[in-house]
Amino acid sequence: MTNTYITNATWALNGQKLDLRMGQSGDEPTTIFLDDIPLEGVTGVTDAGEMKIPEGARVIDATGKLLLPALFDLHAKIEIAGCSKRESIYRTGQAAIQGGVWGMLVMPTPGFCFDNASTLDSFDEAATQRSAAAMIPAGCITEGMQGSQQTPYNTLAARGVSILSDAEHVTDNLLMLHRAMKYAAELDLTFAIRGDVPALTRNTYMHPGTTSYSLGLHGTPACAEEIGIETLIRLAEDAGAKLHIQTVSTAEGVAIIRRAKQRGVKGLTAEVALHHLLYTHENVGDYNTTFKTLPPLREQSDCDALLEGVKDGTIDCIVTDHTPCIPFAKKQDFVSAPQGMVALDTFLPAIYTYLIKPGKLSWAEVVRACCINPAEIATPYDHEEDTPMVAPLLLFAPDTEMTVTEATMNCGTLNTPLLGSTLNGSITLPLC
Amino acid sequence: MNPRKDLITIDALSDEDIHTILESTSAMKDIFTKSVKKVPALKGKSVLTLFYEPSTRTRSSFEVAANRLSADVTTFTVSTSSVVKGESVHDTIDTLMSMKMDYIIVRHKNSGIPAVIARHCKAAVINAGDGAHAHPSQAFLDAFTIKEKYGEVGGKRVVIIGDILHSRVARSTSTILRRLGAEVAYMGPGPLVPQEKHTGIPRFTNWEQVFNWKPDVIYLLRVQNERMDTPFFPRGDYHQAFGVTEERLRRIDDLNLSIMHPGPVNRGVEICDAAMDYRNCLINNQVENGIAARMSILYHLTPQTQNND
Amino acid sequence: MPTINQAEIEQALDAWATHLLNSTVQQATGKLAIVGLISHGDVLARRLVRKLQDAGCEAEYGAIDITLYRDDLSLRGIRPALKSSYLPFSPDDMTLVLVDDVCNTGRTARAAMEVIFEYGRPAKVELHCLADRGGRQLPIHPDYAAFKLDAPESERVQLTLQEIDGKEELTY
Repeated sequence: MTNTYITNATWALNGQKLDLRMGQSGDEPTTIFLDDIPLEGVTGVTDAGEMKIPEGARVIDATGKLLLPALFDLHAKIEIAGCSKRESIYRTGQAAIQGGVWGMLVMPTPGFCFDNASTLDSFDEAATQRSAAAMIPAGCITEGMQGSQQTPYNTLAARGVSILSDAEHVTDNLLMLHRAMKYAAELDLTFAIRGDVPALTRNTYMHPGTTSYSLGLHGTPACAEEIGIETLIRLAEDAGAKLHIQTVSTAEGVAIIRRAKQRGVKGLTAEVALHHLLYTHENVGDYNTTFKTLPPLREQSDCDALLEGVKDGTIDCIVTDHTPCIPFAKKQDFVSAPQGMVALDTFLPAIYTYLIKPGKLSWAEVVRACCINPAEIATPYDHEEDTPMVAPLLLFAPDTEMTVTEATMNCGTLNTPLLGSTLNGSITLPLC
Repeated sequence: MNPRKDLITIDALSDEDIHTILESTSAMKDIFTKSVKKVPALKGKSVLTLFYEPSTRTRSSFEVAANRLSADVTTFTVSTSSVVKGESVHDTIDTLMSMKMDYIIVRHKNSGIPAVIARHCKAAVINAGDGAHAHPSQAFLDAFTIKEKYGEVGGKRVVIIGDILHSRVARSTSTILRRLGAEVAYMGPGPLVPQEKHTGIPRFTNWEQVFNWKPDVIYLLRVQNERMDTPFFPRGDYHQAFGVTEERLRRIDDLNLSIMHPGPVNRGVEICDAAMDYRNCLINNQVENGIAARMSILYHLTPQTQNND
Repeated sequence: MPTINQAEIEQALDAWATHLLNSTVQQATGKLAIVGLISHGDVLARRLVRKLQDAGCEAEYGAIDITLYRDDLSLRGIRPALKSSYLPFSPDDMTLVLVDDVCNTGRTARAAMEVIFEYGRPAKVELHCLADRGGRQLPIHPDYAAFKLDAPESERVQLTLQEIDGKEELTY
């Protein structure tokens, strides 16, 4: 087996034309840095046209295609109701690779409750065996995500956990959280939490506005999220802990984080879910449960402010907030139906079609928000090899089209508004 | 009127639908004056009342309406225990489908449930109130009562007073009245009246604003403490601040305004005793018209059950 | 398409009124009511009552909507808007003349009789119509028909009246 040569690729970050040689048999493995991004297994990069390709080598002609590091998703749930854990892991891994995602931070769920060492061990084993994508578990902040008793952070950290999260659960016990942060700060763990004041958002189902009024659904006030974000920042700052704000959905939420970063708060990062950039509360229409999310979809002005936050670096990452919901659950009435969308299968094509192609974000901004920043926050580490994991490269062909159908969805459920729509771009991952 | 299977919201109806149902309501009311208060229109049809929330008035109004159209009425009692256990509405739908009902009248505390049932049933589904969403039969009886009193609804000004936030009556009745050309305003305690930019309806918070607006009809809503987990306003203040007190009744009388209320009335809260006997109090008319309006609705809906059975 | 024009209809109504005046119906009881079936039959009934009054014969006027009593209601997708019935008197012991525009299957007349009996117990009921097109499906026949039409089953017989449709003719 000879090496693979990729010719005429366009490097997504700066548009430079490159020829690359990947995978080796006998060559010394070296790590090449391109725009500060380490490229795994790449042993030589030259300007396009200068590379000598040996007879019989495998050549991928990447003319018209973009080369970029694969994406890392900092926010995914993988548990599928009624599916075995192994199946959930397998399907999610397939979905991720299809969407251009090489690795993800897996949020704890009841079936994958990462609050103890044995669950983590068995998960790592299953993920290594079954998942095509890297799966990095986020440890629980509290036992059973109940919000009362801290989990054994030392034990979790020793198993490689670097991020703590209770997923969508937000505690109102600030004393417990403050102490947790002080303790975990010593272990250099990051707290990934959503801004919320549970008392203000109990029994609410969507963003307050014209749609919530006419549907008779109680509104989730934006101020609850914003007060929550402000509170978390102050707590983490005081405790000296690293904080990652999950799924920011409001304009003022972005402004609060921007002010905090300008003030020089250390270790503060934030994410936005892709659906909060693409949809508004009006998409709920006549009780369309596909658009029931947590936090809820908000106004167009919020979408715009979130996008601005991504561009100026206030929001570090765009995430999937991938949440499989089985059709039975989503077919219930809006109040009873669970929140969430799946997004892994379609992640990069959707970003390209709805954000890059219309000129809302550049490739460089997307690579930063979906590849570099999330991997930096999660610091995925290969414990067997004892080296940090490095993102593989992917090729993106922007001129192709694909229609999202039941058959193209690998993730196991269909709760995406993109079902039936046509997206641009196809992905080659892995390259060899 | 084009064949229509369900009545879930007023918004879903065409102007023609609204006018037709109102027109037939008047003919239905004539039946009450006959010695035989029954017509054979729905003979052999089965009507099911499926109430997940207790309601004596709406339920019996629908039952009387169905009886007067000669339908067979079945009451489906949903035990609170199975709701607490989280029985899915889909399980209930399966049960209803097996019963081969022609009309299903649903009330549920969750907004949107009747629409889910309607989508999965061949029976005609009538929303008898879902959460804070809609109560279309109430809207029809209210519109009919105003039309009966004033000859027409267009050009009339109706102020709806009370807990707008939780009120499906406010939503449906304001919608039908505005579709018929009336103007509607909302008044109530601050936390219970949604913002005008969300509703498109003027928002008042005191009686002076109401009187200055020169309404024709004062529509009072029931203060529903059972819907409020955390108090929305100070206890004991309501009657003085937002109710029809005897003093306000005198002004209402002077201005010859009508009073309406969907019932049941909290005497001494929304309304003083004297107002119940006020000459322009239309509350009893509403009850009577409710039966006629519901007969008209039942008559105008077309279940898809007969085609396949 | 054969058409009976306005003048011919008017002429027929005069003859119809004369028939009513001469008939033993009203002489027997002295209490006569002309009850039209909505729609069109009620307009004809009103004209007949006026003609009787002009001739010095007092007759009550009534109109009934039989839609809710139709036996084919559940077979029809479209539900027409209901009209208010107008029967300002008790039919007890009266002679009622039911006036229909076109008499066909007999089902409308059957429904009309059901309506009438829910208001009271008339002494006698007669069925009159402007046009009898045959095709009976029930053992009910008009006592008087101004026109006897020989219209094929597939043809539609339609009456338009000035008061409702703005023009007046009977086509078949």
